[in-house]
Amino acid sequence: MNVLEIRNLTKTFGDFIAVDNMNLSVREGEIFGFLGANGAGKSTTINMISSLLRITKGEVRLLGKDIVKENKFAKMNIGIVPQDLAIYEEMTAYENVSFFAGLYGLRGSLLKERTEEALEFVGLGDKHKALPKSFSGGMKRRLNIACAIAHRPKLIIMDEPTVGIDPQSRNYILNSVKKLNQMGCSVIYTSHYMEEVEEICTRIAIVDHGKIIAEGTKEQLKSIITDTKETWIGVKNAERLDLDALKGIPGVNAVRMEEQSVKIISRGEINNLNWVIQQLIRDQVEISSVEEQAPNLETVFLTLTGRNLRD
Amino acid sequence: MNNMLWIARRLLRSTFRKRSSWVVYFGLPIAAILLSMLIYGSASGGSLRVGVLNQDGDKPMTQDTIHFVEGLNNVKITMTDEASMNKDIASGKLDSGLIFEEGFADSVRDGQPAHLRLVSAKGAEVTAYVKVLLDGYLVNVAAIGQATKNDADAFDAIYADYKKSSFKLDAESLEDAAKFKDMTYQSIGFLLMFLLTSAVNLCGLILKEREDRTFLRLLSSPLSARGFVLANVMVTFLIQALQIVITLLVLKYAFGIDSGVPFGVMLGTLLLFSLVAIGLALLLTAFSKNSRGAAALQTLIITPTCLLAGCFFPAEIMPDTVKKISSFLPQHWLLDTITKLQDGQALGSLGLNLAILVAFAAVFALVAIYRFSRNNDVRQFI
Repeated sequence: MNVLEIRNLTKTFGDFIAVDNMNLSVREGEIFGFLGANGAGKSTTINMISSLLRITKGEVRLLGKDIVKENKFAKMNIGIVPQDLAIYEEMTAYENVSFFAGLYGLRGSLLKERTEEALEFVGLGDKHKALPKSFSGGMKRRLNIACAIAHRPKLIIMDEPTVGIDPQSRNYILNSVKKLNQMGCSVIYTSHYMEEVEEICTRIAIVDHGKIIAEGTKEQLKSIITDTKETWIGVKNAERLDLDALKGIPGVNAVRMEEQSVKIISRGEINNLNWVIQQLIRDQVEISSVEEQAPNLETVFLTLTGRNLRD
Repeated sequence: MNNMLWIARRLLRSTFRKRSSWVVYFGLPIAAILLSMLIYGSASGGSLRVGVLNQDGDKPMTQDTIHFVEGLNNVKITMTDEASMNKDIASGKLDSGLIFEEGFADSVRDGQPAHLRLVSAKGAEVTAYVKVLLDGYLVNVAAIGQATKNDADAFDAIYADYKKSSFKLDAESLEDAAKFKDMTYQSIGFLLMFLLTSAVNLCGLILKEREDRTFLRLLSSPLSARGFVLANVMVTFLIQALQIVITLLVLKYAFGIDSGVPFGVMLGTLLLFSLVAIGLALLLTAFSKNSRGAAALQTLIITPTCLLAGCFFPAEIMPDTVKKISSFLPQHWLLDTITKLQDGQALGSLGLNLAILVAFAAVFALVAIYRFSRNNDVRQFI
C-alpha cells in the first residue's frame, strides 16, 4: 500500500515552475530518499505535502485521502522534522515536545506519556527539564525530532536532520530513523550526505528542475549508469588544473574537484585515461595516485544532474 | 478553537515568565500616572498649597478665618511672610497666597468684609475653590456684623453660637476636578502609547515565530494560519485589557484620581482603542519582513503619531496645523472622546468618535488580512 501518492504535482511562482508535473509514490514501511541540489524543487514539494504551500495543480494523497480535501487527517498523520531547528529556546525540552504534541489534540496523561516516550526515544529523557540553550547542536536536532514524532504520525518527513552535528549524534539520529521505520513509520528523508542516504534509504528519487529524473532502489539507480566509470586522480597542485579542458576530453561526462583529488566520470566503453593524464601533465599538475572506482550514488547524481548534491 | 487556546496558553506563559514583561506591560503605565501627577500636581495627592500672610495681628476673627481655610478639604496652609510668599508662588512651591491685610477683622465685624486678597500665578482655576468657600464663610459672618451693627456683645454672642454649629463641606471641588481631568488625560495619553507599543510587541511574536522557523512546525500541525494569528490577537487583547484595568484601578484607588468618567465607560472606550492598536500591529506585522523591520516601523509610527495626537501634552496648546493633522490619527479620537466624556457628554452622543475608532480598527485589520492572504512565499508565511 502507498502511504503517499503524488500525481502530476505542479507549483508555480509567477512564471517560475518550481515543481513540474511530478509523480511519486512512497510505500508503507519505506525510508524514501529524496535527493536534489539546492533549488531543485524538493523543499517546495515537501512544503506542499505538509500543507505549508498551496498546490498549483495535481494532487497529493496520504493513505489514500486527498490532503487538500482531508487536510486535518493529513496533518494528523504527518510529522515534520524541518531543516532549521523549530523549537522554543525559552521552554524546556519537555515543554517543547508537550506543546507541539498538544497541537495534535493530545491532552492529560496521554500527552504526558507520549511526551516522555518521544524524549526517551531521542535519548533526552534525562534532560527533560533542561532548556535547549544548554544543549549541543546534536541534542537540539534530537529534540527537533522528538517534537515531530510524539503524536505518532504515519509519515515522517525529515529535511536534512543531520546538518551541522557531530558524528556521534548523526549515528544516533540515523539509528533513530531506522528504529522509527521498524516501528511502522514511513519516512521521507532528504540529505546532502549521500552516504547517509545510501545507508538508510530503501528507495530513492532524484529531483532536478522540479522533476523526478530517476527513482528506484540504490541498486536500480546505480544500474542506470553501468556504462560509466569513475576515476579518482590524486593531485598536489590542483589550482593549475584546467577543468574545462578535462571536460572536453572525449568520453568525459562530468568532472568534480574535491580538495586534493579530481573525480572524472566517463563513458565506460571509451578508454580516455591516457588523454586525461596527458592533460594533467600539460597543466603541470603533479599526480599522486590514480584509482578507478565502481559507481556510487554520488556518481549517479552527478551523471544525471550534471551537478554535485552540495551545489 | 482548542488549538487556539493551546497556543494562547503558551504565549501567555512565555510572556509572563519574563520579568521584563511585567515591567513593560504594567509597570510603565503606572509610572506614567506618577509622571502625570508630577506634571499636573503636587505629590500630596491633589491638595492645594496656600500660603497665608497675616498682617492683621492676632485678632480672633482673623485667626478663625485662617482656621476655616486650614480646615477646608484638600487645602494645606503655610504661614509665611510677604517676600517668601511671592518667591514660593513664583517657584511653584505654593499654589496661591491668602493675604489678611490690616483691618480685615474689623471690616468683617462691620458687615463689610475687606482687606483680604487671594493671589496666584496659576490663575482663577486654582484660586476659585478657596475663593468660593471663603466668600460663603465671610458672607455669613458679615451678615452677623450687619445685623448687630455696633453692638459688640451681641456680635460676640451670635458669632460664638455660629462657630459652635457644625459646618461640613463637600470634598468635591472645581479645582480638584480640573486637576484630576488633566492627570487622567495625561495618564491615558501615555497609556495609549503603551497600548500601541505592547500590541506591536505582542504581534511581533508572529514575526519571531517566522524567524525562529517554529511557525513551519505550527502550520504543519492541524492549526491553521488564521487560528495562529487569532490566538496571537486573543492574547494581545487579553493583556491589553489587563493593562487598561490595572491602570484605571491604580489611577482611581491607589492615587485617588477621579477621571470624571464612569469606570465601565472608560474601560469600554479604551478596549475599543485596544482593537485599533491590534489592527495597527497586524498591519505592521504584515508589511514587515522581520522583527527588526517591525521595530523600526514601530519607532517611526507610534511615537510621532502619539506626539501629534496630543498623548504627551494637551492638544489645545498645539498649532492649528498640527491639530488638523491629528484628526487623521486614532489617538486623537480616543482622547477627544475621553475629554468629552469628562465634560459630561453621554457616550451615546459620541457616536461619530466611536465610529471613527471602529473604522480605524477595521481598515487596519482588513488591509493586514489582504496582505497576509496575498503572500505565497512559505518563508514569508501567512
